[in-house]
Amino acid sequence: MKFGKLILKNILRNKRRTLLTISSLVVSLFLIVTLATILTEFTQGNERASPLRLITRHAVSLGFTLPVSQQQRIATVPGVRSVIPFSWFGGIYKDEKNFFANFAVDASKFREVMTEIKMSEPEWQAFISDKQGAIVGQKLVKLYGFSIGQRVTLRSPIYDRTVEFIVRGICTGGDEKTLFFHHDYVNELVPAWAKDQVSTFSILANSAEDVPRIAQAVDSIFINTDAPTKTESERDFAISFETMMGGVKQFMYGIMGAITFSLLLVMGNTMAMTVRERTREVGMLKALGFQRGTIAGLFVGEALLVTTVGAVIGIGGAALLFRSVDLSLYIPNFQSFVPTRGTLLAAFVVSIFVGLLSVVYSAYRVSGMTIAEALRSTE
Amino acid sequence: MALPLKYNFRNLTVRKSSTLATAFSIGLTVGVFLMVMALARGIDLTLTSSGEPLNLIVLREGSTAELNSSVSRENLSNLMYLDGIVREGDQPLVAPELLTLIYKARKGMSQGSNVTIRGVGPMSNKLRSGFKTVAGRMFQPGLAEAVVSRRIAERFQGLDVGDKFRIQATDYTVVGLFESGGKAFESEIWVDVNSLASATKRETFSSVLLRAKDQTALESLAKRITDDQRLHLKAVAERTFYEDQQGAASGVLKGLAVFIGFIMAVGAGFAGMNTMYAAVARRTKEIGTLRVLGFRRRSILMSFVLESVAIALIGVGIGILLALPLNFVSTGTANFTTFSEIAFNFRVTPELMLWALIFGVGIGFLGSLLPSIRASRFRIVDALRSA
Repeated sequence: MKFGKLILKNILRNKRRTLLTISSLVVSLFLIVTLATILTEFTQGNERASPLRLITRHAVSLGFTLPVSQQQRIATVPGVRSVIPFSWFGGIYKDEKNFFANFAVDASKFREVMTEIKMSEPEWQAFISDKQGAIVGQKLVKLYGFSIGQRVTLRSPIYDRTVEFIVRGICTGGDEKTLFFHHDYVNELVPAWAKDQVSTFSILANSAEDVPRIAQAVDSIFINTDAPTKTESERDFAISFETMMGGVKQFMYGIMGAITFSLLLVMGNTMAMTVRERTREVGMLKALGFQRGTIAGLFVGEALLVTTVGAVIGIGGAALLFRSVDLSLYIPNFQSFVPTRGTLLAAFVVSIFVGLLSVVYSAYRVSGMTIAEALRSTE
Repeated sequence: MALPLKYNFRNLTVRKSSTLATAFSIGLTVGVFLMVMALARGIDLTLTSSGEPLNLIVLREGSTAELNSSVSRENLSNLMYLDGIVREGDQPLVAPELLTLIYKARKGMSQGSNVTIRGVGPMSNKLRSGFKTVAGRMFQPGLAEAVVSRRIAERFQGLDVGDKFRIQATDYTVVGLFESGGKAFESEIWVDVNSLASATKRETFSSVLLRAKDQTALESLAKRITDDQRLHLKAVAERTFYEDQQGAASGVLKGLAVFIGFIMAVGAGFAGMNTMYAAVARRTKEIGTLRVLGFRRRSILMSFVLESVAIALIGVGIGILLALPLNFVSTGTANFTTFSEIAFNFRVTPELMLWALIFGVGIGFLGSLLPSIRASRFRIVDALRSA
C-alpha cells in the first residue's frame, strides 16, 4: 500500500477526467443492474414455485377449460393432499391499465394449498364465511387503496360479466398483486358455457417425490374424456410462461453485453490517455530505478481504484434506490424489483474485470519502454 | 473564416485509437437503441399492415380480443344481409371465424407457448390479401386438415407438413405452410371453421369479418351493428382493431429503448467529453497559433464541435451496421392479453435510422460543447506559452 498515495495523487491530477469516467461507469453499471433485475424477475417464477405443488390445465392449451367435477377425481389420487380450482378470471378493475391477476379459488381449502400466503385468523374466517368475499395482496392495497369492507367491482371480458366483491382480508406472501375470491360465487354468475368450468387446478402433494407420479396419474384419468388434462409441477408451469416470452432473455443479455463492452471502451480510452500523457514520467521513474512491475502496477491500481469507486456508487446506488422505491408496483406481472445478491456481485466482478482489461495493454506497453524511449515521448 | 475540415480529419486519424474507442461507444449506444426500437417497430408494422382498409370486424360487445369474443350463429345470419356489404355473385363477403389456442413446445425446448388456431371460412381468403401457400397445399374444407404459417412451423415443434396435432378428439394433419406478407396471421394455424367448431364443440363464432363497399358504407355498417341493442355486438374497422393492439407490447419496448438509450447516451457522452477535453489539452499550443494566424474564437469552437460530430457520425455508422443484420431475424413473444404467440421480424426502417442519426449526432454535439467552449476561450499568450 505504500504506493497508495501516489495512485490517489495521480487520479486527482486530472479531476475532470476522473469525474467524467466515474460518472460514465456509474450510469452504465446502474443500467446493467437495472436490466439484470428485470431479467431476474422474468425468470423468477420457477424459483418461487412450490416444490410440492402441481398445476393441471387442459391438454390442448389454457384456452380450454376443465369441468370442476374433476376436482373430486384428482383428490382421490394417492399422494394428493389437497386440490383446489385456481381459475383465471381476467377481471379488469375500472380501466384496462389497472392490470392485476385475479383468480377464483376454493376459499375453504385455499390456505392449505397456498401455504406461502399469510393473513390473520379473523380475516381468514371472514373470507371463508362470506361467499362474496375476496382477499387482496398487500401491494394492491398500496396501489389502489383497497380496505377491508370495501366493494370492488371487476369486469371480465372473458366471461362477459361484471362482478362485485367485498374485501375481507389483506394477505402477504406469494404474488402480492393478486386478488382471490370464491369460485362458488362467480360460478353462479358466469354464462352457461362457463358454468362449472375452471381454467386450472392447483394440487398440493404430500411430498416432493410424489409430484411426478401424481402428474402422470391425473393425466391418465382424463386422457380419454372430453377434457384431457396436462399436469405439471408448478415450476414447469412457471417455466412455460417464461418460454412464452421467447428470446427476451438472450436479447437482454445481448444488451448487457453491449453496455459492458462500451464500458470497456470508455475506461480503456481514459486509461490510454492517462498512460500516454505520463510516458515521460515513466521514463523518469525508470531512471530512478523503479521496476517494470511497479510501474505497471501503479497504472493497474489507478484503473482498479477508478472502477471500484464507479462500481460502488453505480451498483450500490441501484441497490439502495430499488430497495427504497418498489418499482414492481408499477410493472405488470412483476412481484418484486430488488437486485439479488448474485446480480450485485456479478456486476461488481464485471466492473473489476473491465478495469483490469482496460489498462492491461497500455500499462504493458509503457512499462516495457526503455528509459530513452519514454523520455523522448512528445505527449 | 472557418478552419478547413481537413484539419479535423488529420487530427482524428492521428489519434486513431481514441477516435475509434469513442466512436464505438457511441456506436454501441446507437446500436442498442436501434435494436430495441427495431423490435417495437417489427410488432407495430406487423399489426398496422394486418388490417384491410374496407374490412370490418364484428366482436362481442365488451370483448378485448377475438379470443374472448363470441358471435352467435343467429347474429351471423343477421349480419349476412346488411346493406353495404360487398357481394361476390349472390354471396356476401362475410367470414365467420373461430379462434382457439394450442400449446406447443418451442424447437429445442421442453416448454413453449400458445399458438393461435384460426378456423376460417371460404370467404376468409378473399377478405385478406397476400395469403399464399409456400409448401404443400391448402386444407380441404370439411376435413381435419391445417395449414401453418411458415414462421410458426419454424419456431415450434411438430407443426411441419405431415405432422399431426390434436384438438380434443380430433387429429389435425398439417398439409401446407403459408405466408401472408408479414401480417399478424403469420403467427397462426388455419383450419376449416366448421371442422374446428365441431372439434371444440363450440356453438358460437369468435368474430365475423366482412368487407364494406366503400368508406361510407363501412362507417354506417359499424354504427348500425354497434348501436343495435339486440345484437350485443361491436363492429370496428379491421385496421383500427389491429392498430389498437400495438400499444401494449411495443409501448413497453419503446419506453425501454428510450430508457436504455438515454442512460447509455449519458455514459457515451461523458466518454466523448473526455476525448474532446484531451484533444483540446493536447492542442493548446496549436490553438494559440491558429488564433495568431487570425482564426476567430468562433471558428475554433466550430472546429472542435465538428470534430466531435464527425466521431459521432462514425459511431452512427457503426451502430447502424450492428443493427442492420437484425432485419433478417424473425422472432416471437407473447401477447400478454391473450398469452398467445406473436411472430414478427425486427425492422430497422429508414425512419429509425434517421432517428439513430439524430440521436448519435446529438450525443457528439452535446459532448463536445464544453470542451469546445473551453478551447475557444484560451487567451493567445497563455495558449502559446503552454507546454
